[in-house]
Amino acid sequence: MTTSTAPHPGGARGANAPREGTILVRDLGHRFGDKTALEDGLELRVEAGGVVGLLGPNGSGKSTLMRLLVGLVPLERGAISVDGVQLEKDGLEVRRRVTYAPGELHLYGELTGEEHLRVLLRARPAAALRRARETAEELGLPLKRRVRGYSHGMKRQLVFAAAMAPSVRVRILDEISEGLDPAKRSQILDHIEHDAASGTTILLSSHHLGEVDRACQRIVFLSAGRIIADETAEAVRARAARVLKLRFPESADGEAVAAALQGADVETLSRENGVFRLVLEDEDPRPFLGRLAAAEGLPAPLSIEHGRLSLRELYRSLYGVEGT
Amino acid sequence: MLHGLKSYLVYSFGFLLVLEIMIAAAIYWWPTFEDNAQNIINIASRIPVLGGLATTVKEKGVSAYVYGQQYFKGCAALGTAACVLFAAPSVAGEVHRGTMEMWLARPVSRSRLFTERWLGGFAAIAVPVVLSSLSIAWMLPWVDDSMPLGDLALTSLHMVLFLAPIYAATFAWSSIGSEPMRISFVMLFLSVLAFAMYLVEAVTNYTPYRIVDIRVFLDIEATGRLDWRYYVPLTAATLAGYVVGLRSFLRRTP
Repeated sequence: MTTSTAPHPGGARGANAPREGTILVRDLGHRFGDKTALEDGLELRVEAGGVVGLLGPNGSGKSTLMRLLVGLVPLERGAISVDGVQLEKDGLEVRRRVTYAPGELHLYGELTGEEHLRVLLRARPAAALRRARETAEELGLPLKRRVRGYSHGMKRQLVFAAAMAPSVRVRILDEISEGLDPAKRSQILDHIEHDAASGTTILLSSHHLGEVDRACQRIVFLSAGRIIADETAEAVRARAARVLKLRFPESADGEAVAAALQGADVETLSRENGVFRLVLEDEDPRPFLGRLAAAEGLPAPLSIEHGRLSLRELYRSLYGVEGT
Repeated sequence: MLHGLKSYLVYSFGFLLVLEIMIAAAIYWWPTFEDNAQNIINIASRIPVLGGLATTVKEKGVSAYVYGQQYFKGCAALGTAACVLFAAPSVAGEVHRGTMEMWLARPVSRSRLFTERWLGGFAAIAVPVVLSSLSIAWMLPWVDDSMPLGDLALTSLHMVLFLAPIYAATFAWSSIGSEPMRISFVMLFLSVLAFAMYLVEAVTNYTPYRIVDIRVFLDIEATGRLDWRYYVPLTAATLAGYVVGLRSFLRRTP
């Protein structure tokens, strides 16, 4: 069986027809029993080519959305088209046209890495297996060894090697960088950027902003099953750059410190566990830091962090949503 | 868990080896059994059903003995266990170990994935049953006896038809469930219960193991054909199990 990326006869026609390489989600919603996984009316359009990050904390609906996109979870409401093929009409054709790396890593421990690649790339052209081997070797994976002897990161890389191998227009990678050390993560993001540069559409999920933002041109934020923000990565980085975290000695008077920090150059101020979190009016923190240095009676801060945010902090600071 | 041709071959070969060893040993001891048939009947008669079996063997000779050893003792007891142990983890095992998502995400239709695994597991049981039965024709000359290959082929087919619904029912449950150990335990308990019922005269006619009674195989041998009263319901039950399993599998989420 070959992996065709030609236009599909079952695909929609007309001016509003989904194009190849795109991901279109209309009026989606999903429930698992009484629990709402994705709120009704979810809309998403991903144009062909480039990397789109899907960010959200655990339980925000990222994995459910990704599973819906490849037909692993039955569509209850709305419509999905991937690479020009409507999922509800031909889910199998969608799976031929995309690769998917699951977020939850459960592999057949008794198989070797090489055997596992064969299992993962079943029904793909032989060239895909060859490319997967090359990627795995480049990542330093011992393909002759049984997978039960692999570390978590090695398993993640094996799944990544398989997901990147077939020639398709769309890749859906769930938590692909989770559990990797910074060097491997960087190597994987290099692969992703290179692949996207050749015109592939990549939807990448993570619950850590700093893990994937380097590769993303656009970031979609999910919280509690709904999209709460959809911005270019540049805009998100600029907003994140406005966040400053200051830690003062425990002996410092919190009220007095808060009063000293307040000013026209501060948009919001919050305090948690002795750390003051400020969203500045400007991306450049220097004017604020200058004012801070000149403030009388204010103790010297123990630490100053600028532009480094966990996703939870980003949610709270930028979108006013608890990232849980 | 059975995934891939290699594992099917390994499991199937293991099952074949056990059946061959059992039937070879039984055939080796056939002359001793024949010489002591009356004593065995006397001992077995304490359980009337067993006494009846021993009497049938004494009256009908080597073919009744072979049917009892190969089918009733070997394939029915071990075959049932093999059906349960091969089928129970087929789908539920994937869910249990979390590999279901990876299994389904590939560009292969669900009905094909299901059918391949169903047939692969079933072949891993059916082929050893048929091959070990046919090998009896080659073993019997060791004890200066013989049986036609056609009789062995036909009776082994009846045995396979008996095992098929057990396999299909277990597979269907596996397609719905997520705990292969529980499925195996319950199915094995039911089969042991049914086997025990066979030995109790008052309820012996209410157990499915009556379908693989020595007398049924002797009837097949005598008529030279399968009995439709058995193969029609057995086939229907197998197909029903397959359809229930497939429909459940098509709707499953990882």
